[in-house]
Amino acid sequence: MTPAFERLQQHLKQLPGVGFRSAERIALHLLVEKPAKLATLVQALEEAARSVRRCTRCGNLAEGDRCAICADERRDHRIVCVVEHVPDLVALERSGAYRGGYHVLHGKLSPIHGVGPGDLNLAPLLQRVQAGEVRELILALSNDVEGEATCHYLTQHLPPDGAVKVTRIGFGLPSGGGVLYADSVTLKSALDARREYS
Amino acid sequence: MRLRRITLQHFRNIAFAELAFTGGQQFFVGANGQGKTNLLEAAGFVSALRSFRTADTRVLIAHGQPEAAVACDFEHERFGATRLVIKLRPGGKEVWCDGEKITRLGDYLGRFPTVVFSSQDQQLVRGSPGLRRRWLDFTLAAMDGGYLQALQAYHRALTGRNALLKRGAPGGELEAFERPLAAAAAELQAGREAGVTGLAAHVAAAYARIAGEAEKAGVRLVPDVTAENAVAWSGLFAKNRGRDQQWRTTVAGPHRDDLIFTLEERPARDFGSEGQQRSLVLALRLAQVSFFRERSGVEPLLLADDVLGELDPGRRRRFWSSLGSERQVIATGTSLPDAELGAWEVFAVTGGSFQKTGGGPTADHAVTTGPHEF
Ligand SMILES: [Zn+2]
Repeated sequence: MTPAFERLQQHLKQLPGVGFRSAERIALHLLVEKPAKLATLVQALEEAARSVRRCTRCGNLAEGDRCAICADERRDHRIVCVVEHVPDLVALERSGAYRGGYHVLHGKLSPIHGVGPGDLNLAPLLQRVQAGEVRELILALSNDVEGEATCHYLTQHLPPDGAVKVTRIGFGLPSGGGVLYADSVTLKSALDARREYS
Repeated sequence: MRLRRITLQHFRNIAFAELAFTGGQQFFVGANGQGKTNLLEAAGFVSALRSFRTADTRVLIAHGQPEAAVACDFEHERFGATRLVIKLRPGGKEVWCDGEKITRLGDYLGRFPTVVFSSQDQQLVRGSPGLRRRWLDFTLAAMDGGYLQALQAYHRALTGRNALLKRGAPGGELEAFERPLAAAAAELQAGREAGVTGLAAHVAAAYARIAGEAEKAGVRLVPDVTAENAVAWSGLFAKNRGRDQQWRTTVAGPHRDDLIFTLEERPARDFGSEGQQRSLVLALRLAQVSFFRERSGVEPLLLADDVLGELDPGRRRRFWSSLGSERQVIATGTSLPDAELGAWEVFAVTGGSFQKTGGGPTADHAVTTGPHEF
């Protein structure tokens, strides 16, 4: 193959779930078999890269300032479900069991991987809490050491007056596992069985 | 359980071997470095999916090969005829039990118990606390997925907290990791205390069988520090935070626990004779055997790596008779065992290949070599 082809393949290979063979197939497909689709794909990529950003309030994907969930007036935004990543939010939404708002941290504390509080999307959440906008926090972080440490770090930084009720889902979640790997039924029961976190 | 057949491919220096076992005693004879221990290592791997010689799976894969494979056919008390296939790759390992892939280690542990007797075992009495802790952790985790989980969580939280200490991170971040650390410490120490109490009776009984002497052997947990429950552990780690920040590591905790082996309540390490210490080490392994059987309902497979030759005749005979005939023993040595130790199926080992030389009915088709699909 050509140097440019190989560069493309290298980039494709770095995408999640794409191995060497798939990268080759995708590259061949894009360049050889369907050149007509290529321009629209490139255009879609550029447009998405330009317009999709983090919701300034919750960290979810958004076009513009607020995401679709934050803009939805019918939801109870005084209840905030804290998740690690956007796919966790998607999984919880798919369970259909939840009508509150979210906050995406974009990670969890992990000293081994050099992730500290400054690397997480924490400040906007603490601001919302301080402004009195939050009545309940549901911590839906993974059920492992780093998830637990992140929950604890977060609760340390809440006002000590107990104005915010904090619950933790974890029941029914495979231990050592995160929200993303649980099915909808498990997630629904995990949400129903959330318990007081102290 | 009985191992009826083992097939190895690209496992250390063994390119390919398929060995069928008929009786309950197999002996692998050969000079050092020929692959005797590699075979025991492969058979022992089935217990907890780790080697008794190394924590690094990659060294088990023959040089230049993408993967190693081990397949075992067992006659099993609980599952009947069972086929286990293990594939080792540089990135990890995969296990199939009767064609079904194992996804949770917790469900798997305890099903295929093995106990390894090795000439390194002397270090259990004389060596560093870390060796005794590993012996205890391995013994308990092999039978209890909950214990394994607590152990893994503890070490993960400890690694996290130590990384923060090394970096000089502020107290709030340390405190966040002290919470899961404390929860795991409480569970781990409770598990160790209950486990050691359970094991002590097995150790005493095994020592009495082998030593044929009057002293009572025992084992005690010597915790580095203790706390009542998770909340108390949290308090303890918080209290030590200042000193830990100074040392840049978590100084005190269950990762510093030790065991003490005793004869008549006195430390065997200081007061036991050479012979008593040898008997004690065998008793520790035999205690594992009966502990595993009690917990799992499965008769463990015994793997004796070059240990028979080290024992004096009397101790060897008592050790042997204490094993009983219902258990399968696979042993290695540089010379053939005494005839008095029963009828062995004997395999000669040279350069990673095996040749059946005696015992059992058919010497010819017991050993085959050639390409093989797992
Ligand atoms: Zn939003």
